[in-house]
Amino acid sequence: MGLPVGWSATVLVAVILINIVLVAILILRPGLTATRAGKILAFLSLFLLPVLAGWAGVSEHVERSKTMAFCLSCHVMEDYGKSLYVDDRSHVPAVHFQNNLLPRDRACFTCHTDYTLYGGLNSKLRGLRHVYVQYLGTVPQQVKLYRPYHNRECLHCHNGARSFEESPTHNQNPEVMASIRSNQLSCLGCHDTVHNVENLGKATFWSAGSKRR
Amino acid sequence: MTQPRIERQLRVSGVLVLTGLLLEWITLLWSHPTAFLVFLLVGGSLIAAGTVFYLYSLVADTRSAPLPQGNRAP
Repeated sequence: MGLPVGWSATVLVAVILINIVLVAILILRPGLTATRAGKILAFLSLFLLPVLAGWAGVSEHVERSKTMAFCLSCHVMEDYGKSLYVDDRSHVPAVHFQNNLLPRDRACFTCHTDYTLYGGLNSKLRGLRHVYVQYLGTVPQQVKLYRPYHNRECLHCHNGARSFEESPTHNQNPEVMASIRSNQLSCLGCHDTVHNVENLGKATFWSAGSKRR
Repeated sequence: MTQPRIERQLRVSGVLVLTGLLLEWITLLWSHPTAFLVFLLVGGSLIAAGTVFYLYSLVADTRSAPLPQGNRAP
C-alpha cells in the first residue's frame, strides 16, 4: 500500500498500544478504581489517552491524505499516476513531476489543493460520495473536474517566478498578466496538455535512470 | 451496592474504548480513504461512546452515593 511511516506515526501507534494495555487492565480488574491510583488510571485510559490518540490519529490520516500513495490507492486514479511518467515535455504534470518542480510524494495535492477534504463543504461531501461510488456505484469512464481549474493552483508556485514574470508571451499585452492573476484567462488555455489519460496507450514513458534519445 | 454497578459501567466503557482503539490501530496500517473513514466514523464513535459513558458513570455514581449524616434536610 506504500504506507508512509514517520516518527509521528510510530509515536501514535505506541500511545494506542499503551492505551489498549491500560484499558485491558481496567476491564479485567475494575475494582482497582476503588483506590486513588486506580481512579487516575481510569481517567487516563478512558478519557485522556483515547482523546489524545483520536486527535493525533485524525492528524496523521489527514497528513497521509496529502500523499500520492493515498490518491493512487483508488483504482480509478491509476492512469493519472501513470501520466506523470509520460516522456513528453509538453505534458504539464509530467514535466513538473519528473523535474522535481513539486514534492513527488505530494504531487497530486500540490496542484489540486481544494479537492474533496481540502475544499469547502461541498467538496468534502463529494469526497464521501467518491468513496461510495468507488465501492457501491459505477465509476464513470471519464473523470472530470467539477469546475474549471483555478489559476491559483499554478500561481501559488509560479507567481513571482522569473520565468513566469518575464515570459514574452505573458508580457505581450499588459492585460494578459492581469487576466491570468484574476483567473479570467486560464493557464490551461495555452498550457493545455495535462493528464491526457485517453492517449496513454500511445505514449512513451520515462523511468529514473533512463536517458532521453 | 454502588461499587459493582460502577465496575460494570467501567467494563462497558472499557470495552467500547478498547474496540475503538483496536480499530484505530488497524486503520493506521493503510493509507486509503476507507481507512480514514473507518478511523473517524467507526473508531471515533466507539471511543467517544466509551469516553462519554465513563464520564456519565462518574456523575451517576456521585448522584447515587448516600449523603453524609450531617447534611440531611430537617
